[in-house]
Amino acid sequence: MDKEETLLDHMEREGMSRRTFLKYCASLASLMALPPSAAAAMAEALGKAKRPSVIWLPFQECTGCTESITRSHTPSVEGLIFDMISLDYQETLMAAAGHQSEEALQTAMKENFGKYVLIVDGSVATGLDGAYSCIAGRSNLDLLKEAARGAAAIIALGSCAAFGGIPKANPNPTGAVAVSDIIKDKPIVNISGCPPIPVVITGVLAHYLTFGTLPELDGLGRPKAFYGETIHDRCYRRPFYDQGKFAKTFDDEGARKGWCLFELGCKGPVTYNACATTKWNDSTSFPIESGHGCIGCSEPDFWDAGGFYKALSTPANPLKYVGAAAAIGVAAGAAVSVANRASKNAAKAAHEKTTLSDIEK
Amino acid sequence: MRSINDIPIHVLSPDETLTGQAEAVLSEIADLLGRLLETGEAGSIDLRSLPLSPADRDWLNAKLGRGEVEIVLEAGGRSVLTETAYAGVWKVQHCDTEERVVSEFIEVAYIPAIVRPAGADIENAYEKLQSDLKQIS
Repeated sequence: MDKEETLLDHMEREGMSRRTFLKYCASLASLMALPPSAAAAMAEALGKAKRPSVIWLPFQECTGCTESITRSHTPSVEGLIFDMISLDYQETLMAAAGHQSEEALQTAMKENFGKYVLIVDGSVATGLDGAYSCIAGRSNLDLLKEAARGAAAIIALGSCAAFGGIPKANPNPTGAVAVSDIIKDKPIVNISGCPPIPVVITGVLAHYLTFGTLPELDGLGRPKAFYGETIHDRCYRRPFYDQGKFAKTFDDEGARKGWCLFELGCKGPVTYNACATTKWNDSTSFPIESGHGCIGCSEPDFWDAGGFYKALSTPANPLKYVGAAAAIGVAAGAAVSVANRASKNAAKAAHEKTTLSDIEK
Repeated sequence: MRSINDIPIHVLSPDETLTGQAEAVLSEIADLLGRLLETGEAGSIDLRSLPLSPADRDWLNAKLGRGEVEIVLEAGGRSVLTETAYAGVWKVQHCDTEERVVSEFIEVAYIPAIVRPAGADIENAYEKLQSDLKQIS
């Protein structure tokens, strides 16, 4: 596809009908949490969009983010969007290797200077001048600084790039930091999650193509369309929380009846992500639907935030309010959400180191 | 184990997982239908964005029932638009080419918007038909 060609031209050339495109836009609007009525406006803007250059750099990561995104790469909404970008450098996916691939990176940066979107997955090692993680003999730190210079915007993909993630977990031997700790002069969108939900990245790209700007972000640099509400706010088990009905073990009567997993350590009330609505594995389900609490993977320092099976009120005093509300079974959902948000920073400071007993609980 | 009945499976009645959310959706549909009558403005509800349990979905489907019309759209996968027992209330399900459901809506409209062909498409069709006719004659 030519870089000057619009999406509408591309569609017509591929023999795609207007209704197919409208249908894609309705689904895109749905997953971007836009009102259904926005689909028509979106179709018009997206139809005129041009194809941007995208450079994707992998740093201290496990390739889980790439796995997550490419698993959605089927003839679908995501496929359409991926067809709309020019992915000029991605080590895992590209055919070139060695000097060839480094040349491709340099060429893409030079030709699209000031215009390309830079995607980074993985945290950046800063210990020993960044020597802990190198590509082609250069440190991630050095590569990031160079690539960021010509980027129009940066997408920090996954909790590692967004917040440091697992490499940054105590005791952080490599001095891992987030992209935003290094780059201060470019717009950065954090798409957190371990891994992030595939449609969130395509949603952000679709927003960029539709409106020519980055979506509205929350205090942690995450797009509000996907991270505007907690897992708890949108959880189908939420009404049971409001009724004070909780599973006490993973195989009791409450667990069988699908009651709230709060007391089994679910981090849904303090975790902002779209799992409860977009779901996983081709929209099959999400962890809570499979009977396990949320582990809070899209929040900063989730790995060091106490045990996954400890109820939220346990690790920090400010969150005890939640426990009290839950125990008497009041319908104080909204108030609790506000209380949680306000007390999250305090809770973070009070988090304890995870011990074996936490996991065994 | 002597028989299949010895397998300890506990069967739950679907009513036990009803959350009450589906009732709220039903009253929103009623509001949208009222607005359609008054102003002619269509509305829709994105079912994917709501925290409905499987039992809630079943309850809502049972309440809405089936009407006389079903429209099947073959565009980048199959879409099925079904009129419910309430005229003007449609269930819309879009699937992709691999038959996975990509979005689901309740549309409140005389005819769901996607069914109506665009003016530009009719213009193209008119031009093409005229040129086809010329070739025949």
